[in-house]
This record gives sequence, C-alpha cells and structure tokens, in this order.
Amino acid sequence: MNMKPRRSWMILPAHDSAAVMRCQEFKPDVAVLDLEYSVPPKAKEAARLSLRDVIKKVSESEAEVFVRIARDTRWADVRAAVHRGIKGIVFPGPEDAAEVVELDQLIGAMERERGVEPGSVELALMLESAKGFWNAAALAQAGSRVTTLGIGRIDLTMGLGPVPQDEFRLYRFLMNRTLVAARMLGKQPLGALWRPDSRGGVASSTVSEKAAREGRLMGFAGCLCATPEQVAAVNLGFTA
Amino acid sequence: MMPAYIRRSLFALSIDDPQLGEHAYASWADAIILDFEKKPGRDWQQDLKSRMPAAIQAAARGGGEVFVRIAAQAAAAELEATVFSGLTGVVLKGVKAADDIERVSLCLDTLEDSRGIAAGSLEIDVEVDNAAAVWNSLEIARASQRFGIFTLNERALSENLGMCAEPELNFEPLEYIKSQLITVAISAGGQALGMSYPLSLTQENVSEDALKKAVRRARDTGFKGTMCPHASWIKACNEGFRPSGSEIAYYRKVIEVFAEGLKRGMASVPIDGKMIDVPVDLRAKLYLEWAHRAQARDEAKARAHGQSVS
Repeated sequence: MNMKPRRSWMILPAHDSAAVMRCQEFKPDVAVLDLEYSVPPKAKEAARLSLRDVIKKVSESEAEVFVRIARDTRWADVRAAVHRGIKGIVFPGPEDAAEVVELDQLIGAMERERGVEPGSVELALMLESAKGFWNAAALAQAGSRVTTLGIGRIDLTMGLGPVPQDEFRLYRFLMNRTLVAARMLGKQPLGALWRPDSRGGVASSTVSEKAAREGRLMGFAGCLCATPEQVAAVNLGFTA
Repeated sequence: MMPAYIRRSLFALSIDDPQLGEHAYASWADAIILDFEKKPGRDWQQDLKSRMPAAIQAAARGGGEVFVRIAAQAAAAELEATVFSGLTGVVLKGVKAADDIERVSLCLDTLEDSRGIAAGSLEIDVEVDNAAAVWNSLEIARASQRFGIFTLNERALSENLGMCAEPELNFEPLEYIKSQLITVAISAGGQALGMSYPLSLTQENVSEDALKKAVRRARDTGFKGTMCPHASWIKACNEGFRPSGSEIAYYRKVIEVFAEGLKRGMASVPIDGKMIDVPVDLRAKLYLEWAHRAQARDEAKARAHGQSVS
C-alpha cells in the first residue's frame, strides 16, 4: 500500500481545464479529476475525451491523480480514465462485491491496452448507501486494487429525509463502521467529522480544519475537499 | 439485564511478582488475570508448567476468580503451559476471527480431560484489542459455548484503529463500537467489560469522586465491570458496578407496591409519579437478584479474607 500521505483529496471538475489547473495553486495531496456531479451532463463526454491530456498535465504536479467516476456510467468513465499518470479510481456508492470485481477486471483490461503498469491503478471506494456500509468489508476485500475505504455523501444519498438538526449522530456510527473495516483490512480510511449544515461547498476553512482534525482523532487519514479553499485546512487538520 | 457473571473488577498480576499472593489478596478484585513472560534461553513451557499451579493458588487467595491471559496467535502452546486446575478460564488477546475461539476451545477440551478439570467448565473471554475482533464480534461470541466476556482494551484498540491516543475529543469516539460489543456479548449469553471515556483511554489514577462518576457512566452504557489498571480503582468498581443501596430500596418498594396493586386488580400502579407495570416489576426483580449475587460475591471474598459474614 502506498504510504505517501493522502490527506486532502481535492475535487476538480474534469471538463474545466482552468479549474483543474488550480490544483497547482492549492497543492492537494491528491487531485481527484471528477466525472461525477461537478461535471454538467452535457460536458461529460467532452470531459472523458480530454481526460488523457488532463491526467498527463496534472500528474506533472506534486499531487497524485485519481479520477472519480459516476456509478451509473462507471464503465465508460473507467475506459476514459485509465491512462499513464493515473494513480487510481474513486468509485462512489459501491454496494456489492461483484461490482468491485467487475471494475477491477475492467481496469486490468484497460491497463493492458494502454500500457499502464498492471495492477498499479488503485481503487478508492466511497460508501454512500446502507447496503454499501453493511458490506464494507466484503467490498474492500473484493479486489487487490482497493487501497482506500471512505465515507461519501451519506446525508444526501441514504434517504434520511431532511438534514438532521444539530449533530448527525448516524454519521459517527457510519464513521466507526468504515474505520473498523478499513483498519481491519489495511486500507486507508477517508472521512472527516462534517456537520450536516456545514459540509461540502459551504464548509469554511475553519469548519473544514475542525472536521479534519476530529476525523484524524477518530482514526481517519484524509478526506475529500469540495472547494479549493478547504485543501490547506484539511491538510492542517490531518497533520498531527 | 442482570449480569451473567459478577466480575466488576479485573486486576492483572504477573506470575513473576514475588508478592503475587499478597497483591491478589489485598486487591479485593473479583477476578485476577495472570500474565506471564516467555523467558529467553529457557524451556518457557516447562518453566511455566512448573510455576502455574502455585501461581493460580496464590492469585485465588483473596477469593477472586483466576484467569490466565493468552495470545491467540500462540494459543496452543501457551494453553498447554498455563492451564491447570483452579482457573476459571482464559482471556484471549489478539483474537481476529471465530476460528481463533474454536481452536482454543478444542485445546481446552483436551486439557480439561488430561488435567482433571470438569469438562466444558473453562471459560473463554476475549480482550477486544483490534479492528477484526470488532468487525467479527458476533461470530467470535457465537463460536463456542465457553464464551463469556468481551473485555475492551481501549488503548490497544484505539491504536489499532489509528485513533489518537489522547482523549482530545469531547465525545466518546468508540460509542458505537462499545454499543456493538455490549449487545453482541449479551446476545451470546455473556457480558462486556469496559470503562467510560476518557478514563478508558487515560487510565489515570483519578479522584474517588471522578472514578465513581466514570464507573456510573460505564455501568449506564451497559458494561458490567472493567479491567482495573490501578488497584485503587477496584473498590469503586466493586461498589459501582452493582445496584446501589438507594436503588435496592427503590426496587424493593416497586415490587411491594406492584404486588399490592395486582391484588387490587390493577395492571399498573404509580410510585413517585412514575407508572409501575410488569416490565418495571421484572426489572426490579432482576436488579435485586443482581444485588443479591454481588453481595454473595463480596461475602465469599470476605470469607477468603477471614472475615465473618452475617
């Protein structure tokens, strides 16, 4: 397993080259080229087509390059993403081990086709559903590429109804569950203690640092950053 | 829920302690956990075999139950060297899966048979000190009829989980893990032991008042006792992990008033503004049984100390 620190995973909309190159300014540990929600549907195909060049450019920076695929279009996204320079794939919302096995095999085929070192492309699984959390250990064991197990946007994806008031206590339960599975299997746990009303794009630097710091104290090693401004704060919070 | 065992205070002592018997006797712990070292340059198994029977006897001087702590990864050899008559059971550390328990149970079958110990009598307790033990807790607890207790080693578990070793968070970071272990242990007919955060992590020698409050929080969480890192914890644990005098008085009143209500044809009766019905009456009876068993445990230890018991 790669032991290079991966504290900040900065989301960069893959279709927006100017936004992508901002990673050189904010210096995240990981640049996550996004094919999921930050890319408008109309721009997805163009984003896929440009991904090879974008990966090449970003991989010349200090950041490791991952591509976040969309669950529903994961096959096309993986085909577009596996090129020299990529470090891994972020797979949001896996539920069954068979999905991970299938993706693992597809990545393997693309590695062979594109001259990428066999077995080098990692998989970071972001849990987003009750089924996914329950199957966390099976998912993480489903392929040797899985190096990272994290918590996705569960407040939005788990059908919990309105945003909880005050503390989102279910979140801490799911953090514990993810952490236990990840540590048991030697995977990097991704997560921070976000509060329901101050996460994602609205989380300030102060809030992000606190969320990251508490995440670190709870055993996590890094988290996704929805905005560039969160990167420095997250790096600080995940540094002892 | 009434505890399956009265094990409010566990206290670890080394068999190399030249004052093992004195320390066990003076501790008043409900259970003594014997630790040992494998001495280099010697036949450690033979060495332990020659010393364990006396060590078990010494550890039992104060009336506490005696266990030996074994590493799951080396269980067969360590069990062979340490299991003798007088033990209540073994505490396994480093357990990761159900087959660790199954293997130990088979070893104990053989040792019980060869060493004159009642068949099936030796208990297997599990020190939860790693992520796999948490994840697989249900399978572990169900792996053998011998399973008795999950003892949470919070420092080791926190380290294994990559958590901060210092209690900097203002909430219990293992809340859900503790809840899981308690529920799983009870579901398998056993119980879980542990302390409340942050004392569970700092393991400090705190004031009597702070210790009492921490024990009460642990009891309220569902723990039925804890490993005591200091002998000074034991008294507070013995007193705190059982119904208090005021609780006993209250539950006696509950039983009495509810019985009178039943005679009058009522299904529920009020006491101090609270409604007492069948579940409350049942809980009261369980609490009194728990208190009775804790009292019996204390009396047994008092007799071991030569004290007369009325």
